[in-house]
Amino acid sequence: MKEKILTLPSPFGDSITLFKNVWDGGKMLDTLSIVGGLHGNQINGLYVASRLTQFLNAVWEEREKAYRIKGKIQIFPVVNLQALQAGTRFWSFDGLDFDMAFPGNENGELNEKICHTLINHTADSTYGIVLSTGTIHYEDFPHIRIYRPDRSLKKIARSLDFGIVREIPESPANNIQLLHQWTVRDIGSLLLVCGKADALARDHCDTLIKGIINMMVATGFISHTGEKGQKSETTFYESSDEKRIAAKQPGLFTPEARVGDTLKQGQRIGLSRDIYSGEVVEEFFAPTGGFLVTLRDYPLIYEKETVAWILMEKKSLRLWPF
Amino acid sequence: METKTVIDYKSPLGGSIRIIKQTFAAHNAKPGKRIAFLAGLHGDELEGVYTCFRLIRHLRELEKNRPEAFQGEINIYPAANPQALGSASRLAPFFGTDMNRLFGVENPDSPPALSTHELLADIKSCSDLAVDFHAGNLHLKELPQIRIIEGFDKKLIPLARHCNVDLIWVHPMSPVFDSTLGFNLNRSKIPTLVIEAGVCLRLDADFGDQVFRGMLYLLQQTGILTPDPATGTVIENPLVVNSSQIAMINANQPGLFVKHAELGQRVIAGDKLGEVLDPIQGNVLEEVVSPLTGLLFTLREIPITYAGAALARIASEDAGMR
Repeated sequence: MKEKILTLPSPFGDSITLFKNVWDGGKMLDTLSIVGGLHGNQINGLYVASRLTQFLNAVWEEREKAYRIKGKIQIFPVVNLQALQAGTRFWSFDGLDFDMAFPGNENGELNEKICHTLINHTADSTYGIVLSTGTIHYEDFPHIRIYRPDRSLKKIARSLDFGIVREIPESPANNIQLLHQWTVRDIGSLLLVCGKADALARDHCDTLIKGIINMMVATGFISHTGEKGQKSETTFYESSDEKRIAAKQPGLFTPEARVGDTLKQGQRIGLSRDIYSGEVVEEFFAPTGGFLVTLRDYPLIYEKETVAWILMEKKSLRLWPF
Repeated sequence: METKTVIDYKSPLGGSIRIIKQTFAAHNAKPGKRIAFLAGLHGDELEGVYTCFRLIRHLRELEKNRPEAFQGEINIYPAANPQALGSASRLAPFFGTDMNRLFGVENPDSPPALSTHELLADIKSCSDLAVDFHAGNLHLKELPQIRIIEGFDKKLIPLARHCNVDLIWVHPMSPVFDSTLGFNLNRSKIPTLVIEAGVCLRLDADFGDQVFRGMLYLLQQTGILTPDPATGTVIENPLVVNSSQIAMINANQPGLFVKHAELGQRVIAGDKLGEVLDPIQGNVLEEVVSPLTGLLFTLREIPITYAGAALARIASEDAGMR
């Protein structure tokens, strides 16, 4: 059910209006909030939010007969409306990162008002999901990122059926991001990352949508006549389980592996060439066996920039028994 | 003057991104205090870059004519984000990141994050005291002022009084400061003054000159330079206020803000500061008046406003301590 959450008049055109879609089955007290469109170049989140809305509307209208909505689910498909309209990561008016403005300010600038509204609407949530993509210049295989993973959050992560969860190390730079602000409010918070900026990865998005629906069933937000929501084998990676591969030389990078590949130690990931001579200046090899979760998508690469992140193979997989 | 490259990473298109440090060593083998001046972390903030130019030029002359004046060591980083400065951009342009939101990050994984990591270490290694120059944001012009986070005020106010600024503003801590250079140095027990003057993408040389005179006075008062008998320095006695002594004036309507007052003016309660206009319908939407008597130390430069946009800040003269 589409609800207006904020209207801000604009000096030169239509008002800036933000919406959420909300369904409340009234059978449980918990709330699940899902947020997309924090940056103007993250298209996957818009797509996932719109497809989930289509599904939940169908459930609500009893066109999906096997499902029933039990809890309260709210989806915020668009937050950074101005940047999305401009087709840029940030809105040129202020040039600021929306996801560095939480918890916002009711009486502040436009971005602060929007962030404040979003926090207000989600502060009493039990769980929060932020839909995101890889950072600029990178493609990410679908995975989950969380702070402070406790047993309950791990259980939720497992029900999302992605198989991969990475812990986000605490950092002062993240304190004013939505996910962190939710976490400090004791909301079970998960960042779902897939694909790359400025592009729609439908296959990856379908993985996300399927996982989120499974999570809704597993947590009881929706019921299904025949399923309880499966909890898949999931591997949990701490920072020390991750290997960053960085460029020693600047150049033009071309990949030979793809995100989602399981790499053998020594396998070539790609190479970079000198732009002026075309000569190969550096080859990149997997220093360890593991899963290629993030790979550079943009060819121009500076010295010291990241080429790839590998999640290292574990001697004994740490699966989570529940 | 000794020139040293403290950060260097190569571009794929040729050349390097280099952060330069200019050092003026103490005349005696056993130096007194050491100070660092840093400008241009945001590439569109230029007053500090100009102040560093004035400092370098003055100190080079002094080194030639009166080398015994150097009792301590002076380190100047005149262009801390050279790529952003060259692009007149707040953010590091290729990477889209804010250098002054990356300090204190563990495991840096991009050239800007690595640069802040190394820069912080370098400043710590050569400073007992630091000054970080900034300007207002894209929208607001600031009278030369020093902003101090509560808790650091006891140590910093006495130093700030030497800097020839119009205002010292002691404000509460906010998570946004966690990853800034100023906060991280102060937390590391290196007293650091954050000076704001002017507005983005413009240079008010008078402000730069005012701050330059303040920096010379600071160098003399801290014993880093001996006083120059030929050129005594007279500095302003700043107004010292906390946040409760400041009136923030925000737009109630979106429109075009036209100012009717000047930055630095002493305004009386009820004085007209400007108007917010509706250029489409030809209406005056709002008359903006001063709610108190005091110093107009912030004024909007970019006329386009949304509701909530900051238009002006006034420091109450009644409460402030000259």
